[in-house]
Amino acid sequence: MRIFLFDARKLQTAVWLVLFLLVWEGVAWSIRHWIPVTQPETKWPYFTDVMTYVFANLGMLFKQGGITFANALSGFAIGSLVGLLLALIMSLSATIERIITPYIVSSQMVPIVGLAPIVFGILRDADMSRISMAAYVTFFPVAINALSGLSSIPSEKKELFASYASSKPVYYWKLALPSALPYLFLGMKLAAPLSITASIVVELMGAPNGIGVTMVSSLYYGSSQSTLFWATLFFSALIGLAAYLVISVIERVATPWQPEFRSTGGGNT
Amino acid sequence: MSTEIVINQVNMRFGKGDKAVTALSDINLDIPSGEIVSLLGPSGCGKSTLLRLIADLLEPSAGKIEVENESPRQARLQRKFGIIFQQPTLLEWRNVVDNVSLPLEFTGHSRKERKQIAMEQLRMVGLEKFAGHYPWQLSGGMQQRVAIARALTFNPPMLLMDEPFSALDEFTKERLHLEVIRIQEQTRKTVVFVTHSIPEAVFLSNRVIVLSAHPGKVKHNLSIELPGKRDLQIREHPAFFEYTTKVRSCFGEGAYDEDLLV
Repeated sequence: MRIFLFDARKLQTAVWLVLFLLVWEGVAWSIRHWIPVTQPETKWPYFTDVMTYVFANLGMLFKQGGITFANALSGFAIGSLVGLLLALIMSLSATIERIITPYIVSSQMVPIVGLAPIVFGILRDADMSRISMAAYVTFFPVAINALSGLSSIPSEKKELFASYASSKPVYYWKLALPSALPYLFLGMKLAAPLSITASIVVELMGAPNGIGVTMVSSLYYGSSQSTLFWATLFFSALIGLAAYLVISVIERVATPWQPEFRSTGGGNT
Repeated sequence: MSTEIVINQVNMRFGKGDKAVTALSDINLDIPSGEIVSLLGPSGCGKSTLLRLIADLLEPSAGKIEVENESPRQARLQRKFGIIFQQPTLLEWRNVVDNVSLPLEFTGHSRKERKQIAMEQLRMVGLEKFAGHYPWQLSGGMQQRVAIARALTFNPPMLLMDEPFSALDEFTKERLHLEVIRIQEQTRKTVVFVTHSIPEAVFLSNRVIVLSAHPGKVKHNLSIELPGKRDLQIREHPAFFEYTTKVRSCFGEGAYDEDLLV
């Protein structure tokens, strides 16, 4: 049964890959043959061309992508911490929650494309700006999800801890935080790719390095660089995916009790 | 027999103004120590609310409760209650032995002592082989036995049980009834047992408090004296049927609410 499921999953991946390639190359072919655009290879290149370029320039892409990833990661870590702290503070009292919520919601109304140049202008440092923006987009989903985790603890569990005459800190450490972990990870999985995007947006505004810079410069040099542009786009997506997968793996290790991670069979009633 | 819990003119209302609901009205009750006392009644009679008032998980709107001559709060802060809920309420991230030893983390026991006491309790409910398992690997009945073991670990003088077996199948339920009786005979703890099942109340209890609903009132306070040992055979004894008939008659016409049929 297990082996069968594993094979089914492999098959799904294979089908997904084939469909993806068919659609991509189909679109590229259609643009070339049916729609009269100039330089169709810049509008939608063949995937195989993009991949050839990616592999030819793997070193450069990894170097620039690594810079983006490292900065996003720092910002992501800070943002997650801030988000969790906010959630903890808000879970302490409904009044505090009502005071803080409008601030954190309105903070997300400002488009990051508008905010990035402001932050860059003030901090005047590419790394600091990337980290700040990554933290800025991270804290919101983390705070909202962690808070809903903290506020959805079954009342009987709270009563159990009340009957132990538990102090607030012990209650948080032994019950509230572990209960909220799956929700915290949900927020972090949403935030991880966002933090990469935020970091790239800052780079578009004029950082000295990073995958975003490569992307912008490829646009300046016209059609000769168009494959580079697509390669950076593809690589950016890969970094975002990597960020998501890293958090997913950590989640699996940190919260093995979640129903979807339970490996051992046995009564479930 | 000394009196453990004294409930005096207790009223409980939820909500305010026109929407206020009276859950309990003028409850007067003495619960003696060392007995199993059932709070029996249909849904909405406030039996679980009464249990939570005793445990200081809720505060009465009016009236007074004393537990061993102290307020419920003082009793709770001294950890005098072991509570068992309808759901096992285990912590999914802890294995069985760590769930059972959880209460001892509040009482300053060392890691070694905690483990040792928890293993003893697990032996008492016959689950020592499952110490390393996680809650989701156990059946519902086993999970509830873990919850019983957990409630016993810090040796509280009172066990409060809120319909603990109502989610279990009949066979598991019977086994756990016998287990509760055995544990109570060994430890002589005061047990307050909330249930909506008449046979369960009669079988387990030294005393059955019959509550009526809307608002919750004490309708009858019945001492149960079954001839002989409380085992599965006693359920066939005429005295057992006399008691169940007597309790059922307390509810009059309403006795055939599906709530009261087991």
